[in-house]
Amino acid sequence: MSQRRGPLEATLAFLDFFAAVLRCLVTGPHFWLETLRTMDILMRRCLIPVGLAVAPVGAVIALQGVGVFRMFGVEGLLSSMLATAIFRQYSPALASVMVAAQAGSSIAARIGTMKVRGQIDALAVMSVDPLRYVVVPGFIACLIIAPLLNVLTTALGLVSGWFFAVVLARVDHGAFVDNLYSQVTVTDLWIGLAKCTLFGGAIGLIAGFAGLRTVGGAAGVGRAANSTVVTTIIMILVIDYFISLLLLWLGV
Amino acid sequence: MPEPITAPAIELDGVSKAFGANKVLDDVSLTVRHGSIMVMLGPSGTGKSVLLRCLVGLLRPDAGRVLVYGEDVAALDESRPRDRARLFALRRRFGMLFQDGALFDDMDVGDNVAFPMRMHTDLSEAQIRAKVADKLRRVGLSGVERKAPSELSGGMRKRVAFARAIALEPDIVLCDEPSSGLDPVMSATLDELILELHRTLGMTFIVISHDTAEAKKIADTIGLLASGKLVTYGPAADVFAEGQPALRQFFERSTEGPIRVL
Ligand SMILES: Nc1ncnc2c1ncn2[C@@H]1O[C@H](COP(=O)(O)OP(=O)(O)O)[C@@H](O)[C@H]1O
Ligand SMILES: [Mg+2]
Repeated sequence: MSQRRGPLEATLAFLDFFAAVLRCLVTGPHFWLETLRTMDILMRRCLIPVGLAVAPVGAVIALQGVGVFRMFGVEGLLSSMLATAIFRQYSPALASVMVAAQAGSSIAARIGTMKVRGQIDALAVMSVDPLRYVVVPGFIACLIIAPLLNVLTTALGLVSGWFFAVVLARVDHGAFVDNLYSQVTVTDLWIGLAKCTLFGGAIGLIAGFAGLRTVGGAAGVGRAANSTVVTTIIMILVIDYFISLLLLWLGV
Repeated sequence: MPEPITAPAIELDGVSKAFGANKVLDDVSLTVRHGSIMVMLGPSGTGKSVLLRCLVGLLRPDAGRVLVYGEDVAALDESRPRDRARLFALRRRFGMLFQDGALFDDMDVGDNVAFPMRMHTDLSEAQIRAKVADKLRRVGLSGVERKAPSELSGGMRKRVAFARAIALEPDIVLCDEPSSGLDPVMSATLDELILELHRTLGMTFIVISHDTAEAKKIADTIGLLASGKLVTYGPAADVFAEGQPALRQFFERSTEGPIRVL
């Protein structure tokens, strides 16, 4: 459309879009097969980058911590700091950011390509609601894979921290394992998973919105993918900050 | 025996559509009889595709009514849930061949043609495969089921898209320039197919074309759209006999006449 698109118009359109997606979620028909297919594609796209991104983080935390902890002679406590940092902060944020970078861009690009090539219109004319057939599956897929990846990043982060601390920096293995769970609770894990689900859903939603609004051929598809990644990563980091503040204030 | 349908398939009443300052359709009114073939001619950029998009509610006109078997598509607002459901239901009566095909890139040809059947029927996979093979045979493309759309020529993609458009044997088939990009023989084959479907299944066709020979061959009704206005509209025989200047220019491929390009 050639109407003017200010930030206000975009916000209102997004709220409309959100409401329409929610309506599609609560009423049928659902395209579960398409949802599974989307999950499979996105999982493949995310696994390796997520692994590569999180592995060094555990090592870096261990690297920085080990000197300080050694100074005070409590290097056995290194693992509890590592676990706290990874469970609460790094893992959920990293998993979400990677889902934004990989899954968000891929969803926006796919839907954007379908849009500029007239395939979204073709779906609509064949009485298949594009919201149900392409947007909702992407939304649900992100909602599910983000927490799944969070489990993976948590495990990988701990393993890489263990590898650095125990194998390379010669911290005692028994002390490492004993103290691993002294500071973290099951609540931390749930909070991490909940944050990832929230971010994942937001990524799927924003990617679908940007994809459906794509105009202007291949360049437009690039813009849609790019704006999805930038918007969602900023959103994740900002909201993550406020959630941490809130949790601190609540004393969780 | 079902009652014969006497209501018009399509009725446009004072339809206007502008994009910003660009007035694309200007007060267009016309009627398409159920079971007829209407061919809309006109130079490119005059709003023929926009007209088709208004028929299926992909675009909403700024003014006027778009009646499909008596129901006003233009009154349906896609952002209202009930209207949206109604719009998607109404579209079941249509099959549409888009100007550039609009096949799904991530599906092979067979899945593209099968798509509407998988979505809207309970046919078994074997039945669907048989129907897909039949539709592809009709458009002269037997055996290409496993090919990706990107492996086909533009003309072949168009024929696959036509096969997809008629897959559910809809009441009304909209064809946006089915013959452009096809060689004369293939184009004539497609015309024969339209006539056959029209004869055997009583489908209503709305065909956009640049090809005056095609119009002569298949049209019951001919329209000429120029600069957003419906210059001529009526039974094919009358329109040809009348010798309307713009239409004559179109048929004679002349630069002289009411249609101005430069
Ligand atoms: N979605 C749209 N937004 C803005 N302008 C459009 C849109 N669709 C079509 N137009 C304009 O409408 C005019 C008619 O287009 P179209 O119907 O595609 O012509 P044609 O008769 O060749 O099919 C063109 O000037 C085109 O630029
Ligand atoms: Mg056109």
